[in-house]
Amino acid sequence: MNRKLVFCLAGLSLLIALIAPPAVLAADSPYIFGLLLVGPYNDHGYSQAHYEGGRYVEEHLPETKMLYIDKVNPADRPGVTIPQLVDDMVEKGAKLIIANSDDMKDGIREAAMMHPKTRFIHCSGDDVLTGKAPANLSNLFAKMIYGKMMGGFAAAMTTQTGKIGYLGPLVNEETRRLAASSYLGAKYAWEKVLGKDPADLKFSVTWIGFWFNIPGVTADPTQVAQNFYDTGHDVVISGIDTTENTVVARKKREAGKAVWAIPYDYKGACRGAEKVCLGVPYYNWGPGYVRMIRDAKAGDWKSQWIWMAPDWENINDPDSSAIGYNMGQALSDDAREKLQEFVVDLGTDKIQLFKGPLFYQDGSVFVKEGETASEKQIWYMEQLLKGMEGSSSAR
Amino acid sequence: MIRNLAEILLSLMGVLLFTTLILLIAGAPPFAAYIHIFKGSLGSLNKLSHVLNAWIPLTLCSCGLLYTFRIGLWNIGVEGQVMMGAVFATAALRLGMGGEAPLFYLVLAFAAGIIGGGLWALLAGFLKTRGGVNEIFAGLGLNFVAQGIILWLIFGPWKRPGIASMSGTELFPINLWLPQFPGLRMSPVGLFLAIGAIAVTAMILRYTRIGLQLKAVGGNERAAFLLGLNPARNMLLAMIFAGGFAGLAGTLQVSGIYHRLIPAISSNYGYLALLVVMLSNYDIRIAPLVAFFFACLNVGSIQLPMMLQIDSSLSGVIQGILVLAVLGVQAWRARIKIGTQGVKGSPGGANP
Amino acid sequence: MEIALQNITKDYGSVRANDHVTMRVVPGSIHGLLGENGAGKSTLMKILSGYTPKTDGEIRIDRGIVEYESPAHAAGLGIGMLYQDPLDFPLLSVLENFKLGQSSSDMTALRIRLTDLCRRFGFTLDPDAPLASLTIGERQQLEILRLLEKGIRTLILDEPTTGISGTQKAALFSALKQLADEGRSVILVSHKLEDVEALCDRVTVLRGGKGAGEMDSPFDPDQLMTLMFGTRPKPPPRSAEAPGGPVLNFTSIHARGGRTGLKSCSVLIRENEVVGLAGLEGSGQGVFLRTAAGLIPPLSGEIHLKGQPMKRQNHHGFKRKGVNFLPSGRLEEGLIPGLTLAEHSALQNGGGFWVRWPGAIADAARRITNFRIKGEPNLSVESLSGGNQQRLLLSFLSENPTLLLLENPTRGLDVESANWVWEHLHRFCAKGAAIVFASSELDEILAQADRVMVFFNGAVIKDVRTQETDLRELGLAIAGRA
Repeated sequence: MNRKLVFCLAGLSLLIALIAPPAVLAADSPYIFGLLLVGPYNDHGYSQAHYEGGRYVEEHLPETKMLYIDKVNPADRPGVTIPQLVDDMVEKGAKLIIANSDDMKDGIREAAMMHPKTRFIHCSGDDVLTGKAPANLSNLFAKMIYGKMMGGFAAAMTTQTGKIGYLGPLVNEETRRLAASSYLGAKYAWEKVLGKDPADLKFSVTWIGFWFNIPGVTADPTQVAQNFYDTGHDVVISGIDTTENTVVARKKREAGKAVWAIPYDYKGACRGAEKVCLGVPYYNWGPGYVRMIRDAKAGDWKSQWIWMAPDWENINDPDSSAIGYNMGQALSDDAREKLQEFVVDLGTDKIQLFKGPLFYQDGSVFVKEGETASEKQIWYMEQLLKGMEGSSSAR
Repeated sequence: MIRNLAEILLSLMGVLLFTTLILLIAGAPPFAAYIHIFKGSLGSLNKLSHVLNAWIPLTLCSCGLLYTFRIGLWNIGVEGQVMMGAVFATAALRLGMGGEAPLFYLVLAFAAGIIGGGLWALLAGFLKTRGGVNEIFAGLGLNFVAQGIILWLIFGPWKRPGIASMSGTELFPINLWLPQFPGLRMSPVGLFLAIGAIAVTAMILRYTRIGLQLKAVGGNERAAFLLGLNPARNMLLAMIFAGGFAGLAGTLQVSGIYHRLIPAISSNYGYLALLVVMLSNYDIRIAPLVAFFFACLNVGSIQLPMMLQIDSSLSGVIQGILVLAVLGVQAWRARIKIGTQGVKGSPGGANP
Repeated sequence: MEIALQNITKDYGSVRANDHVTMRVVPGSIHGLLGENGAGKSTLMKILSGYTPKTDGEIRIDRGIVEYESPAHAAGLGIGMLYQDPLDFPLLSVLENFKLGQSSSDMTALRIRLTDLCRRFGFTLDPDAPLASLTIGERQQLEILRLLEKGIRTLILDEPTTGISGTQKAALFSALKQLADEGRSVILVSHKLEDVEALCDRVTVLRGGKGAGEMDSPFDPDQLMTLMFGTRPKPPPRSAEAPGGPVLNFTSIHARGGRTGLKSCSVLIRENEVVGLAGLEGSGQGVFLRTAAGLIPPLSGEIHLKGQPMKRQNHHGFKRKGVNFLPSGRLEEGLIPGLTLAEHSALQNGGGFWVRWPGAIADAARRITNFRIKGEPNLSVESLSGGNQQRLLLSFLSENPTLLLLENPTRGLDVESANWVWEHLHRFCAKGAAIVFASSELDEILAQADRVMVFFNGAVIKDVRTQETDLRELGLAIAGRA
């Protein structure tokens, strides 16, 4: 048997030698960039927005080619690690790799250190701000805070019960920031547009524990959404990558309940749920990707932290705005009009929602009277705001 | 052993055939898919190191399971034992965060991991020997409990400051990572441990009284008892071995792969190892080879969504078919066994 | 329907279950098939009903030779068998069970047929009751009616009176007589003399797979006994040494286990004694031996070994006191399938972390020589023949036991091997050990034991010196007539 084994091994190594890819790539080959998606590329949510951003790059930058892999998370792909996938993409010729999830922070940093010649973009991370990032790692994110404010605004304009639910993912700076933005938008509409008593507005946040449902690990977002609707919340805003709140709302509506939903992340997330959808704040990664990749391709790379603002001229311009708000058919004409005004005022800084006085949940001061929060202050929010219900850090 | 190998090759061929069929139905080129899996797992030294990263814990779990299968126990709780090994190892490494003497804490982590896995297995063992709870149900239950403990730790006492996410605990400082081969993402420690586990297991099962007693109790518990052996004690011993090896695998996952505790820390290697051991017909000489095949499949199948845009659940389908093939081979073996016993039937057997 | 079985032979591997058995059943008669457990009755009837193929011989039905092609073939010819445990479906109703296998599927018609048949035989079966609510006796009745509806002309019943009440037995017997009066044949398989006496016109007796004789009603029970258990002259009693001090003392032991358990058993067994346990299989002998070995803890009563109480001791405690138990199921309880002779040897010679394989192989070789085992040290035990497995087990008995508990120590052994085994065992006795053995062979008990204890339904109903009894008396005691 030993002799057989030797033969087998010899044969195997021969095969490897034959099939192994050629080490040198031709000079005129396309510029390959990799994309690691935390969820399915067709999730109608966060990952699909990135996937389409990648496709946008392929269309708008000649000589580029995308390699992508989806469901990059330990629950879907047990045993597969970020550095391992990066190794593979680098082997396949990727010059630049985008990691789309906060969850990939440690892995992408580790990979970046291992592959100093490859460029890395981590979306939603802050390694450049904290100084942990090596020179080949940048952070790219869009100012979704505005999109969330618009969502909150639409929710408050629509709610009949005055109770808005926020389906939160896990708790960190980003998610606190976005939940708080939604709240601020809602509060503005409630108080300033509708002229109601802020004490009558209830804004509850429930965290499920991850960006999407992992059975047995996270709380079930369908259950959480159902629970919101069953306890008098008639608008549920999604903070997670998938569209459970919208699906539940549609079913409740079919059962005759007056409920609405605001999904998240992906431009087309309202599709199929027009009756309940008040619109969706979405990411438009294409332009940002194109800029970064064009620069990197031209050899003009530096490690930077970029927080892209919307194009206030037209927030829904696919070629220039990093975020947008796709209004839903369920939004009343009046609310639609008011929301459009709101967007204009946000763009001209006439409305500045992160303006003091703002307080954290525990009563401590977040922004002092007369001051406006800086980008970094907003980025690193430590708690939810006073007036919101739900935990600020852990369950 | 030759016959075993032949059987395994036969079932693998069956799997290949069936997978090809599915690929064709899915509209993907089967040959390209296999080439991608092959290149994606053995195409470079780097890839081989990824395969070995999966092979090491799989092999450790398989070695552990050989003890429990030898004594006739279905230690399905091996998954939870990996998890608890990881939990204990994380606890030890957390002690060493920011401290001196990382080596000491790494060694401590390995000891803790082995103890964690062993204790968890012992719990299932006691439920079996003292409480009469079937080890399959006890194991499944304890797997859930272990998963619950990990989630609780990640969300509670071990959460990152200011963050409540299922993505895991704080990353360990780099001095608490297992040293890796230069340029490769693989630790020589893990490789050494896995090879050591194979050698030790082969030796214990073959040349020691423990191995013989496990085999005796597994072959016939009542007869072993009449011959003066203590079946319960031997079962607990087998569980400790299995849990210890599983705990070791968990420790490697924490200290060598993820460098933190994550909810899916066990990567299903425990369940996969059950298949490995069954498919290899409980033969220590074959199990590492089958584990290697599974590891290749695990690592290589990533290429399918990346290169061919085949929905990645296909690798799950392949694994599912493998499960069926394993069960089929098992049933076939059982039938052969019954067949030969039927011929030897006694006249007593003819009387109802 | 006339049935003639001629020179039926059936081999299971090397074991001959039926050896040239001949039997003729006259139409309209109730024919008994009598014999001990293991005499080959069930095998013969399975052959007749087409369930098992025969090895040799011929089956004639109404003077024509038939070769069954399938079990259904026999059924098609009108032969139906009622098994000890009727093959029915507990989840279905009585009527649905009755429908099984019938050509008609008209439920209304079948319901009327079932009610008619019940009336005719005096059975009370509710067609709509779930089968699970029926007693064994009622399930038998249903099965008989079902077979009748299928049109069978010969009904075989395998031990039908086990587990049914007296009333049901009376109903069954009257139904069977009615069937015979209608011209059908009934074959009654039993080991109970009383059943045969009460019902049968003629009886065929089997012993050890061979036809031992036939007899017409009225029967002489003594003669039937002799046919069942053999007529070898009583062997001269062994020149036993006088019994010594007490070894095993049971005081009103009650124990659970087997079919019957053990009921209020008080026994004293002394050194040098060889005690045979007789009785139909499963009458309490097994429970007795296992209780004495510490394998079954008694529910009440006390066990003393050499004068010491054995409360809360398990088998290993008994073993340390010199008790050795040899179970009947060699591969089920005694040996470990999958392990070789050498591995068994290694297990016996405990101690040390490592197994010294050369030593174990040498030890196995020594046992092979000393105990005349046909085998190799590296052969796994299940490949040994039954006799050689038994020799291997005997080789594991300790050198100086105080008490040997043996269950069917020579079952399946040829005469020469059996004699060799006993020679070996008597040597232990000479050294002061006591031997208690269960055997289904009265001959063996009379030949080897100094004392016989007969078990019936979990109790010792006879306890005598071998010299003071004979085959007939023991046979009657076994049948419950002490």
